[in-house]
Amino acid sequence: MNALEKLNAHLETRLTELGKAKERGHKVIGYSAGGYLPEELILACDAIPLCFIRSGNNSVLKDSSSYVCRWFDPFWRSQIGLITSGKDPYYNIVDLIVIPITDNHVRVFSNTVGYYTPEIESFVFGVPHVKDKISLDYYQQGIVRLRKKLEEYTGIEITKSRLEQSIDLCNKERELFRTISSIRKSGEFNVKSRDFVALNHGSLLADKETMIDILELFIKEVKENASISQEGPRILFTGSTLAQGDSKVMDIVSDCGGMIVMEEFAEGLRPYWDTVKLEGDLIANLAESYFWDRVCPGWFRPGTERLDFLIKIAKEYNTAGLIWYQLMYRESYKVESYFFPGILKKKTGLPMLVLESEYDAAESGPMKTRIETFIETIKGD
Amino acid sequence: MDNYYDSLFRLCGFESAEIEEERSRIEATFEKLAIGPGDMDEAEIRVRQYHDVSLEGVRKLLGAWLKELIDLVLAREERKKIVYYGFPAILGPGLMLSASSENVFVSAPDMVLDHTMGQIFNKLTPILEAGEANGLPPGHALCSLWQAKVGGIAKGMIPVPDFALASSYYCDMGSKADDLVTALYGVPIAYIDGVMDSKWGEYPGYLPERVHYLGSQINQALEKAEKVLGIEILPDAWERSRKKSQPFRDNLTRLIEVMKADPVPVSVVELEMLESLSGASTGRGIREGTKAMDILVHELEKRVEAGEGVTEKGAPRVMVRLGHTSDPKITRLIEETGLSVPLTFILGSWGGIKVKLKSNYKTPGEIIADYEMAAGYYYGTEGQVKFYENATKIMKLDGFIAQYLYNCRPVATISHIQKKYLEETTGLPVLSLEIDNFDSRAYSADALRTKVETFAEMLKARKNG
Repeated sequence: MNALEKLNAHLETRLTELGKAKERGHKVIGYSAGGYLPEELILACDAIPLCFIRSGNNSVLKDSSSYVCRWFDPFWRSQIGLITSGKDPYYNIVDLIVIPITDNHVRVFSNTVGYYTPEIESFVFGVPHVKDKISLDYYQQGIVRLRKKLEEYTGIEITKSRLEQSIDLCNKERELFRTISSIRKSGEFNVKSRDFVALNHGSLLADKETMIDILELFIKEVKENASISQEGPRILFTGSTLAQGDSKVMDIVSDCGGMIVMEEFAEGLRPYWDTVKLEGDLIANLAESYFWDRVCPGWFRPGTERLDFLIKIAKEYNTAGLIWYQLMYRESYKVESYFFPGILKKKTGLPMLVLESEYDAAESGPMKTRIETFIETIKGD
Repeated sequence: MDNYYDSLFRLCGFESAEIEEERSRIEATFEKLAIGPGDMDEAEIRVRQYHDVSLEGVRKLLGAWLKELIDLVLAREERKKIVYYGFPAILGPGLMLSASSENVFVSAPDMVLDHTMGQIFNKLTPILEAGEANGLPPGHALCSLWQAKVGGIAKGMIPVPDFALASSYYCDMGSKADDLVTALYGVPIAYIDGVMDSKWGEYPGYLPERVHYLGSQINQALEKAEKVLGIEILPDAWERSRKKSQPFRDNLTRLIEVMKADPVPVSVVELEMLESLSGASTGRGIREGTKAMDILVHELEKRVEAGEGVTEKGAPRVMVRLGHTSDPKITRLIEETGLSVPLTFILGSWGGIKVKLKSNYKTPGEIIADYEMAAGYYYGTEGQVKFYENATKIMKLDGFIAQYLYNCRPVATISHIQKKYLEETTGLPVLSLEIDNFDSRAYSADALRTKVETFAEMLKARKNG
């Protein structure tokens, strides 16, 4: 069984396993996407983290329309539809929902959970939009409150040694993702973007130790297998959200002969570039890594750190173009998509294609035309 | 001899001597805005059609907006240091900057354009289109206030600011659009950050961390403003700006008192001009507006004494979120259907109804932040819906027209909750109305009429038994 088959097999039985874990007294802690929740805190009190990353289906949006107007990012409307409809078992199995609030799209989800589903216990804390000493402190205060909440909720004290163990485990997972991502720089190894994304999505649902085994196996397979066969233009793929179930752009790029070699998304993918230090104040280390060290999403102000990062990785991964995939009504990404192409062109010479989605099947046709044209254009450069 | 614009300016409360004094500035402003003799007839017709110009206070209010427009358009030529902030915004920082130096012009220019180029001259569309062409395209539910601001700058109608105060505690779009202006024109920004992260059910409680964070961000932004603008904000700046704006708040309390009357003595169209002026101007506009308000409230007290009003006695009383900033026809629509509007959410929440503070903070930023958390507007959705609820008895309401702005995410969060919450807690009917409050091209009065008329008929039937 190869790594991806092993992941699929694990996820097929995951809900059953979670049910059994609950019977054994473990709590399942659901949390909203965005990468601002330190899973280490959940693991340190013997609870199970489960990230809400499922989306991409337009029909789910209908379920949200009883709770919010349509002028919000479809990913977050999907989260509202999924939590209120009870249609997805991953959303029904959680005992507590933790929502790190980033922007107003996440806040509307938080309001919905708090007001419409009071029977589901929830905990919120804020993620500031700027990086300075006081915002770092504010974020840290949030995770300190979260730690207290988790300890009360699970009845397990998060001791230093428990936290060290969970940080170590999560560091290992992040390191493996970094390894997989980095070996794509050279172009020597055959790591498909869809596989990398599947692993990343899987890691947000899977048992942590099982996931680490799967990632190690994946790296071994990649190194043993034949080198890359696809010759298409190398593409950097970026945007606000890449949900599990939203593979439209990746599929079309592949069909059109392009090759995504790097993904940068704020929601849906696990941030993996940073390591949490194990010396000193561990809570401060978590805050530093999750808030300060991490390259910020587009809704931070200013967004220059992320834009500079895109320029850096576009060069490092030897890309021929950038596809900027934003979801409708996510204004931070929309505004940046106006002025960033000029900056990108000036600093790297690369072109950028902006795509937008509301998870509508009808988008595929026009999207394919645009992607085909983009790939043909960069092939010709 | 009169010039072509004298009649309009007199209609808008200018004294003849004032027009003479301002003449060269008026002409310089109109040249930049491409306003000429051909625009006067329509402007006068609109002013007479939409505003109660029999009231001197209303005429003076219109004049206050025109004065703010002139000061805005000429600020660069007049060597002012220009600071823009977004709307809505916590007003304290802007007021403090304005109070610190005569050479600093601090304003929300989009609101000024809406109320003058929109309400008076009906020439807002080309400005919005320029905003759409410069980074804020249509079809994406982007803020039309920001389209006006970016469009006004792109067309050279309003100056590029020297500094921007970004409302990062409320609006994601605003801060990003400030980034856009920086990318296009290199404007330095201070982001006043905050996070609306209280859990549903906590209000009126809030964590001291929220006050400390927002307060520290305000203090930090003021320090940056000092450096960028080369000014000194004196330790008593907050007290002085509070004193300066106290007459406005006092008048607001008087105004809310007269609006309790049945029939209500003035249209919500005029209330809108007041509420917006207080949120858009920190300089001459609001100073003149406060004087105008003094006259207006006095006139309204007389109307109340005489039992006069703008709607029939006994008309159902509804609270709305706010009036339309650029097209009074939409606001007028509510009264045309036979409803009276004694209060807007904005007017009430900006000082009309007292709030109880939680703690005694020392720094200006924390004092401002504590007030804003307690007041509810910048607290989050729960603070806002509870404000509506609290106004029910004070203003003897019969229902709510609870607008939500499709292109304003912080307000759109309230879209469904406010209706359910208010119906359940007050027992009153609620019309949830999707609008664009700053641009009437897609959400026109005609498009909204059927919904409002039907709601009005239902309220009348309910009230009359």
